[in-house]
Amino acid sequence: MDTQSYQPVQAGVGMEENFLSLDDILLSHERLPIRTECRFPRLGFLEKSSDTQDILEVGEVTGDNVMGTKMELPLWLSKGLYERKRRVLTIELPKVYREGWRTVFNADPNVVDLHKMGPYYYGLGSQMLHFDNPENPEIAQTLLQTFIGRFRRNMDSSQNAYNEDTSALVERLDCLERVLFTSGQSGLNGFQSWEKGQASQLTASSLVLNYRKRKIADVQP
Amino acid sequence: MDASEVEFLAEKEMVTIIPNFSLDRIYLIGGDLGPFNPGLPVDVPVWLALNLKQRQKCRIVPPAWMDVEKLEEIRELERKEDTFTPVPSPYYMELTKLLLNYASDNIPKADEIRTLVKDIWDTRIAKLRLSADSFISQLEAHAKLDNLTLMEINTIRAFLLDSLNCMYKLRSNLQPGSSKGQFMDY
Repeated sequence: MDTQSYQPVQAGVGMEENFLSLDDILLSHERLPIRTECRFPRLGFLEKSSDTQDILEVGEVTGDNVMGTKMELPLWLSKGLYERKRRVLTIELPKVYREGWRTVFNADPNVVDLHKMGPYYYGLGSQMLHFDNPENPEIAQTLLQTFIGRFRRNMDSSQNAYNEDTSALVERLDCLERVLFTSGQSGLNGFQSWEKGQASQLTASSLVLNYRKRKIADVQP
Repeated sequence: MDASEVEFLAEKEMVTIIPNFSLDRIYLIGGDLGPFNPGLPVDVPVWLALNLKQRQKCRIVPPAWMDVEKLEEIRELERKEDTFTPVPSPYYMELTKLLLNYASDNIPKADEIRTLVKDIWDTRIAKLRLSADSFISQLEAHAKLDNLTLMEINTIRAFLLDSLNCMYKLRSNLQPGSSKGQFMDY
């Protein structure tokens, strides 16, 4: 196991994110469809920079947003601006979490390409629960059922894929499932290499192999 | 935990050897061994037995369970039962591998034993996956796995624990209010 010395902060899957987790930072950049409920003076650039088609009055002289503008904001910003009592934004559910897709997930979670839908399907779905949507219980239930439904396949493919090209297997997995896949595979690889007697051979650490020799000129001032 | 670390623990198991040298009782931190007399059986840990064997100072007596008929019986029982059946040794996989790799000349029908143990292992791992899957799909929170050995647990541990962790978090999403504290109105 050459990765033991590197221990990245894991993603916090539930409603809390881990502050220092790189996966969670990337997740918080996912865009959400929102509608503004009040004026944001001098923030017109937010909307202009978004790549989506916005059918609104763009480019006013003052640069103000108009009431009820539809736009996309990253999750971190929507989360910061959202308040339950004072209406600043309304957040709409992304398509994947709406009724239609939920039916698909409930029918057979294994056929869905979660990487295309996500790639942070579970993480983003859990984060959506912050916005007090009336459909929250159904969303949470679907997330859980999807995970359970895909568990067996993920387990079997990760534990049978010894020394194989796994790119086809992990192609359709969500980022969270990919982490699980690697840990399942490391268990298998550890056992197989022990069984073959490779575990008792000493090898140089990958850190040492990649370390370039220092020139004496660099060391001496 | 690495498989070789499990093997390290397995090497503490006792095995009978027949030495061909004589030595007084030796006092080790984990217990006293010996005395060693040529031709008389004596119990030593596996690590010492293998070391002596490699120096050609002893003959290893295979454990009683390392026998074709007994292993066949265990294999049949394992296939019949739904739960895990008791195994002959808590380190059956490790001991088989160690003894067969270093002392196969002392063990009769070594190849058959290797195949049988591998069969038992495969049956049990398939069972383990099946039970892990039904454990997850029924949303259980605890399970009892009496007769699993350390090596078996170790191959699936990282994956199963990480998955259960994720499942627990996704499940706690269902009960709102538990984590709402950090997200309040200003």
